[in-house]
Order: sequence, then structure tokens, then C-alpha cells
Amino acid sequence: MTKEYLEMLAKKLMFEMNDSEYETLLKEFDITLKQMELIGKIKGIEKVSPMTYPFDLELDDSCMREDKEENEITFEDMEVNVKDFEDRQVKLPKVVE
Amino acid sequence: MTDRLIDDIRKELDSGKITSQDLFDEAVRKAHKYQDEYNSFVTILDKKEEVKVDTILSGIPYALKDNISTKGILTTASSNILKDYIPLYDATIYKKLKEAGAVLMGKTVLDELAMGGTGTTGHTGVVKNPWNKERMMGGSSAGSASSVALGIVPFAIGSDTGDSIRKPAAYGGIVGYKPTYGRISRYGLFAFASSLDHLGVMARSVKDVSYVIDIVKGHDDKDMTSLPDEDIKYIEHLDDNIKGRKLFYIKDALEIETSNDELKEIIDNFYLTIEKMKKLGVEIEEVNFGKELLEAIYPSYNVISCAEATSNNSNLTGIPFGSRIDGKNVNDIMMKTRTEGFSELIKRRFVIGSYVLQKENQEKLFLNASRARRLIVNRMNELFKEYDGLIMPATEKVAPLFDEASDKLSDEYLILGNHLCIANFGGFPSITIPSGFVKDMPVGVNITGRAKEDYLVLNLANKLEEVLGYKGQVKNNE
Repeated sequence: MTKEYLEMLAKKLMFEMNDSEYETLLKEFDITLKQMELIGKIKGIEKVSPMTYPFDLELDDSCMREDKEENEITFEDMEVNVKDFEDRQVKLPKVVE
Repeated sequence: MTDRLIDDIRKELDSGKITSQDLFDEAVRKAHKYQDEYNSFVTILDKKEEVKVDTILSGIPYALKDNISTKGILTTASSNILKDYIPLYDATIYKKLKEAGAVLMGKTVLDELAMGGTGTTGHTGVVKNPWNKERMMGGSSAGSASSVALGIVPFAIGSDTGDSIRKPAAYGGIVGYKPTYGRISRYGLFAFASSLDHLGVMARSVKDVSYVIDIVKGHDDKDMTSLPDEDIKYIEHLDDNIKGRKLFYIKDALEIETSNDELKEIIDNFYLTIEKMKKLGVEIEEVNFGKELLEAIYPSYNVISCAEATSNNSNLTGIPFGSRIDGKNVNDIMMKTRTEGFSELIKRRFVIGSYVLQKENQEKLFLNASRARRLIVNRMNELFKEYDGLIMPATEKVAPLFDEASDKLSDEYLILGNHLCIANFGGFPSITIPSGFVKDMPVGVNITGRAKEDYLVLNLANKLEEVLGYKGQVKNNE
């Protein structure tokens, strides 16, 4: 594990971190990787199916929504969070320079 | 009056001795009075919602954790990146409470984005413990816990991804309940780790928790992970006979050689507690869970929760969500917004989450953590064939002093301090109730049961609460 690798990840995640933050993070990685190494040694773990949900989903017809159009957000609701708009259209940052 | 139990408050309301407005005013007055000292709230409301219905909760004030959507009311998740966010819709849990006539009086402080266990990382400052201001409240539902413990409200709503309701409940001497995964709709809860996230209730008795759960549970078309409706009221099963029920505790987590007096006293308190449970006719046995699995709990939780959190919070960029910081182009805006919007702890967790999801690391890290999760849940389900529930000390220590509190990872295997997230792994209903005092600070006992058997967990906890003698406990500093 290197600081450079972590910098690459932070860049992908779209934020910057300072040197002392990287220092703490490197120590945390030492611990995390050491702990995970022990998990890797659990006999037969490679044969276990990964669990992504607490229990089997109970999906039947009653869990399906009616296919009806709903539009809950009005412009008036939305504008409280909008910094800049013109003629009921939200101004977004320029994408193409 | 807001420091009393729901039945007492209801009686006074129904007799006309007090009004809902009186209760709201009292809760708001206390909230302001304690705010500088304890910092329970991000927002204290000044106007009462008016819903005229007739339910057990109608007219009764309560608080919501600030990661639950409330249309038109600031909802920050205690993060700078959402410091100005005003939701466009109501969370289902808030809608149900509103429809039942319960009166929202404030939004409570949490650890930033619910990702912490100390109550010290919210953007508006640390939450202090009502029993001792030098000590932390624990988190992440810190403000919800302190608002109940201080007697500001009779109940508050929290969320729980690893132990975020049940740990601060123990530190605050109150009851904290996380029901079965999917029992309460999460529509409108800001996601932290979706496969582990639960909503739940904090109050001063098991009965009060049950009143609230009966109102907020149920299937929701807006949350496909919510469970189907069940034809049962938990409140009606609180007094069921528990004679002959069987519980286990994890021997290999409790057999600790330690010179730590606090830990010894907590373990002694636990053994006294189970003796009282046995006198109720409940059989309690010790079980070896398997040290390998116990040691896998915390690292697996860390890896899974960080991975899910990284993904869930990728929309906080300043473009669709988040307080935007201007820049010369879209990338610059996102970079600045996220750099300034997230605290150090959050960034570290996101980097860990991203690392474990990288193609080259996924197998050894994310997938192995998810495999360990299955082994732990399988072991629990195997034990649940013989036993009705797990009983354990809720925490391994009392609320730590602020200079002891840390959200940095430790390489100590604090099994006793991390077992609560087993219930998040398997979606098991799990409750903490107060069981006494160590070092003049409250401690709690936890009961975890089979998935979808919420009524039984509440029933067992209610019976135990009756003999422990801490029902209605409040640290009234007025």
C-alpha cells in the first residue's frame, strides 16, 4: 500500500486529502488488511456464497407497484434547493468549455 | 410532562389537563435550554404541525434524526455537504407519524452521514452525555438518544447500520430498538449501507417503543425491501408468558482475562441481569460461537459498510445534491464541493470502500467480507433453531470520555464492543434496555432474536425490564 495508490483512489472519488489524513489512512489500511488476511484464512471461505442481503427477498406480485405515472416534485418544491434559475429552468454548471 | 411515559402523557392529554400545544412548547423550551450544553439538535422547530386524529401518539412530541427526509424542513445528515438541503418529500416513517398525530419538534444531530459511533463528528459539534458532560453520547443516533435521555421528548427516531441506535441507548440509559430489516420502510432515509441500514425507535420503556413501532411498521410501495404487512400488534404481546423460552450468550466473547475494572463490572452486571431473567422462567445457556467468526465481525462490517457507503454517497457532488462550491468546470466544482463538504473521517471511509471494490482487491476483501457475513449469519440461524434469542451486554464499556473517543480503526479485537452488528448482518430484531450503572454511568443489556419475530424480542425485553427496575429512566437536569 502506497500513498500514491491512495491518492489515485481519492482522485477517482473526487476529493483531496492532506498529508496527515493520508498518514492516518495508511495506518488504517495496515489494520484492515491484516484483519482481512485472517478472514481469508477461514477454512473453506472461498466456497461460501457472498451475502449481499440479510435474508431471502420475499418478492411476489404484491411487492410490485402499479405502473402509474406520478410526479411528486413541483417547481415550487424544487426551487428551495436551487441556487440559480431563469424562467423556471435550472441553471447548471457548464459542461463543455 | 415530556419526561414521562406515553401512557402517563396520554392520560393527561385525554383528561384535558394539558394540551398538545403545552407539550410541544415544553419540548421546545427544554430543547433550547439544553442545546448549548448538550447539542442534541440541528433544528428545533417553532411551529407545531396540526393533525387531528385519535391514536395513542396523537398530540405527543417527538424528534427525528436529521438523516430522515422532512419536506420543507432542513435535513443535513449532520454534514457540511448537505448543510442547506431542504428535502422535497417526506420519508414514509415521518408521514406515518404525522398521520398518527405525533408532533415533530426537532431534527437531531448524528455522526456525519450516520458513519460513526461517537456522536462527535456532526457538522454542528459534539453531542454530550446527559449523565456526564465529560463523556460522549455515542452514535450515530446521538441527538436522538440525548433528547430522550434528557426528557425533552418521550421518544425519538434513529437509524442503525452497525449499532447506531442500540449503543447510544446503552450509554444514555434508555431503550433502543432496531426491528427486523425491512419492518420499517426506509423510503426517505439517507442511505449509508443499504444492506445493513435500519430505522428504529429510542424511548424510555419497551412499551413506548412498541407503541411507536406498531404505528410505523408495514409494507411500503416506495421501498421494495420493506416486508409484507403482518397481522399483529406488538403491544398486545408484551405480556405473553415467557416461561420456557430459551436464550444463549456468547461464552467466547465474555471469557476475557482483563485487569480492566470497568469491563469486569459490566460483565458482573450482565451475569446479575441474566440471573433475574432466569427467575422469570427463561433458560439461559452459554454457547461457544467460534472465535474465528467473532473476530471476523468488525473487519467484515468495516469493509462492507465502507464499500456500500462509497457508492451510496457518490451523488453528493454539488450538481444534483450538495452545497455547490463554484469552480471553473464541472470536475473542479465536484472536487471542491467534495473536498470541503466531507470531513476527514468520511473521506477515509470512502477511500477504504473504493479500495475494497477495485477489481484487483474485490475477491480478497469485499467478497471475503461478504462471505464471512454469511458464515456469521448462518451460525446465528443455526443457534436460533434451539434458542429464542441471544442475550449479551450491550457494550464493553460505559460512554467513553471525549479524549478516549476515537473513530480511527483499532487493531484490538474488541469483540464485546462490536457484536451488535451481527443483528444488521442478518436483519435480526435487536433491543437494548438499561440494566444498571457502572462508574455512575448507565449500562445496558441487549436481546437479539430471529428475523421477523419482533414481537418475541419486545416481549422478552418487556418482561426483563419489569424486574430490572429502570423503566422510564431519565436524566432530568432541570
